[in-house]
Amino acid sequence: MAAPSTILRRLRPISARGNLLARTYHSYDHPPPPGPFSTTESTILSASLPHIPSHGFTLTSLSLGAKDAGYIDASTNLFPQGPFALVHYHLLTQRLGLAQKKEVLEADEGIGAKVKKLTWERLMGNKEIVHRWQEALALMAQPSNVPTSLKELAAQSDEIWFLSGDISVDTSWYTKRASLSTIYAATELFMTTDKSPDYIDTREFLDRRFKDVQFVGGVVGSVSQWVGFTASAGLNVLRSKGVRV
Amino acid sequence: MATRTAFRPLVRAARPQLQSAQVHRCFTSTSQRAESPSQSTNHERTTHFGFETVAEAEKEARVAGVFSNVAASYDTMNDFMSLGIHRLWKDHFVRSINPGSSSTSPSPGWTMLDIAGGTGDIAFRLLDHCTNINNSPQSTITISDINPSMLSEGKKRSLATSYANSPRINWLVANAENLETIESDSIDLYTVAFGIRNFTNKEKALREAYRVLKPGGVFACLEFSGVTNPLFDAVYKRWSFGAIPLIGQLVAGDRASYQYLVESIEKFPKQEEFRDMIKEAGFVVPGKGWEDLTGGIAAIHKGIKPAGTP
Repeated sequence: MAAPSTILRRLRPISARGNLLARTYHSYDHPPPPGPFSTTESTILSASLPHIPSHGFTLTSLSLGAKDAGYIDASTNLFPQGPFALVHYHLLTQRLGLAQKKEVLEADEGIGAKVKKLTWERLMGNKEIVHRWQEALALMAQPSNVPTSLKELAAQSDEIWFLSGDISVDTSWYTKRASLSTIYAATELFMTTDKSPDYIDTREFLDRRFKDVQFVGGVVGSVSQWVGFTASAGLNVLRSKGVRV
Repeated sequence: MATRTAFRPLVRAARPQLQSAQVHRCFTSTSQRAESPSQSTNHERTTHFGFETVAEAEKEARVAGVFSNVAASYDTMNDFMSLGIHRLWKDHFVRSINPGSSSTSPSPGWTMLDIAGGTGDIAFRLLDHCTNINNSPQSTITISDINPSMLSEGKKRSLATSYANSPRINWLVANAENLETIESDSIDLYTVAFGIRNFTNKEKALREAYRVLKPGGVFACLEFSGVTNPLFDAVYKRWSFGAIPLIGQLVAGDRASYQYLVESIEKFPKQEEFRDMIKEAGFVVPGKGWEDLTGGIAAIHKGIKPAGTP
């Protein structure tokens, strides 16, 4: 009796099962799905964020946050994944915060310019905790945390392209998000060792990465143009020899 | 549901043993047991005792009988039945709770309560973790059990540990459904490992746990649960209904108590249902609410008592 419903549940797409990233599209008409954190969890986590610059992405920050929110040391049991909950919460809040960058979003600029500005805004979201960010990267690289980290990175690239007004529905949808993810991850790592004032070096690094992608994109375009031209020319040569193609 | 239907023959196969077990159980009779028939006529409410249905008033006495019988051979039997895995579960249970942890150093210490912790195996682990991992020698524990013979077994064992006659351990004979000697909002951590299954009124015990915990305090329960993989479940059912009562007979000389054990495991609510019972009592559960151990043979359930706005 229960068997068919179990099978149906198995067949349903993964996104429909949990409430983690419950929706794979953006909507103006429906309220956002509930996030991965409950109200109690969010209360403790948001109280923990101010402790990160001094105590890092650690259980200590989580404990201090719990105390600030009226909880006790034992309440950190609410987070089975431990300090990674702090990293996840930071990633989530920073991503959702991008939609509030009105001055970037409402500017009269092209999609490409907006993508660059939003990426920079997101990097600046790490400014307060950048000296602790290597701890977060270490946590994100732990095998059990990798899926969540990659999902967050993908969701963030998608968010940036979506907010910038990208409406592509071809293979470029994937290449755009993949290349932005690569650029972002590389620049974020660069930023952890940047000591220049106002992160000028990071800014230049980011600009160079975007130029690289444009250059590679240009090369790919030229190569495909050349391949197309050579193919059709070859075809015409064959036709001139009387081959029926 | 499909799996339960599939295993009905197995359960039925266990039934004949049950008939004989009832006869055997008479030798567990104690003075408590002798009173019970008169009590059961006064109470219409019934509950499960393994696969039997008994009056609520009678269950307590019969569980007491079971544990009085097994107290001495408790650890040996656990090792035989779980092939030593119960030690790993208990270690993981304690590690996952991380007792004694604190944002300040030295830690002010946790006030812990281990329910149904008679032999002390969880309590000693909790104290070890507090002292050695989190540098919290101030952490204290109350070991509570309804059964004085389990508790005296624990006291005997404590003498062999570094906690012999330690003021950090407090022994308490009490029913988990009624912990009146413990103040409300006074406990950081409430643990119950392989115990809640035997409680007559689990809801009442959960409400009592909620009462004694501080706001933000943790309820942590290690208990047998439902195996999720049907294939593994078939093997596991064979083992539990076939081998465990037999091992009980051979090693502890008591088949009836171990027949009760496997039946009570079968009757205990499965993961989702027990999670909902914890929520019902007012707790907030982390994540999905439980963690399966060894494919779901056992599960760790946790709940946090929510705190009001500071």
